[in-house]
Amino acid sequence: MIARYFPAMKRERRAITLAAIILLQALCAIFFVGDVIFDLSHGDHLDDLHLILEAVAALALCAGVIYLMRELRDLLNRMAAMELGIRAARGEMADLIDAFFDQWRLTPSEREIALMVLKGIDNDSIAKMRGTAQGTVRAQCTRIYAKAQVDGRPQLLSIFMEELLNVGEG
Amino acid sequence: MSVSSTSDCGRSGARSVAVWDPLVRLIHWGLALTIVLNGAVVDEESALHEWVGYVALGLIGVRLTWGLFGSRHARLSAFPPNPAAALRHLVALSRGDTTVHLSHNPLGALMVYNIWATVLFLGATGYMMGTMQFFGVDWVEEAHEIAFNWLLVSIVLHIGGVLFDSWWTGVPLVRSMIDGRKRVPRDRSVE
Repeated sequence: MIARYFPAMKRERRAITLAAIILLQALCAIFFVGDVIFDLSHGDHLDDLHLILEAVAALALCAGVIYLMRELRDLLNRMAAMELGIRAARGEMADLIDAFFDQWRLTPSEREIALMVLKGIDNDSIAKMRGTAQGTVRAQCTRIYAKAQVDGRPQLLSIFMEELLNVGEG
Repeated sequence: MSVSSTSDCGRSGARSVAVWDPLVRLIHWGLALTIVLNGAVVDEESALHEWVGYVALGLIGVRLTWGLFGSRHARLSAFPPNPAAALRHLVALSRGDTTVHLSHNPLGALMVYNIWATVLFLGATGYMMGTMQFFGVDWVEEAHEIAFNWLLVSIVLHIGGVLFDSWWTGVPLVRSMIDGRKRVPRDRSVE
């Protein structure tokens, strides 16, 4: 259920399933290859239809395993690239936020609160987390909005959204 | 409070890197299971002992194949057997070096090849015992026994090494073999 909202988790699960199938199929392939070799060494010949079918099945299994392994490797590479991209984006976002906070000359405690506001935490919870009165948080928020020259929470957020969305157009 | 310290490393101050892919993990624990089964659970004379042995050989075969063209950290070229490097690693440890190796460290890499080789040898001698040619031949059975004892020693060293390295570098290695991610403390350099 949760996986539906987190594509990364879904891919992770797909990789695990793929790996399990590869492993099972590989063990089956080894079994059939071994069986064919055993039959050959015990007097059967390749002109026997049954043995030919078995040999073909064994080869098909081996080919399938190699193919699935390549699929798994590509999937893992894609996942790694995506993780790298997300990490880079996070770093950029953090730099961007830092730059704005510097520009607005926020005090250290204002930076902390502004970050919590950006993360969508309400004043009530911020006050609890920081062990201060709600009134203090409200007053600090007002100062932050004043320094950033916005009307309130949604506008503060929109400053960063705008920066992010502009990248695509510029 | 710096923004970056909270947004990309989480509360623990460590960054997590996906290292062991699911196939590596499944094979690792599968091999551990076959060793436990054949070493302590299954009757040595039984047909099941032979089948479990075949599965162990199969697991290593799949791992070696995966090691040729698999994911980045799973490739054998990521941790070549290199005794000189292992020695250098030991010297570095004695100097207090806490560099984190994303794949195996050089010493751990040697242990990996040692355990695979030992299990392959166990499989080979075990198979020979079942053939007409070598049935009841003493040296084959003795070799199988000695190889098993060597495997036990290796496993103790392996677990000891994992525990030591987890403590030394601060990367919970056992957990990384379960969920595939190494959590590297911020202040560690990575190789």
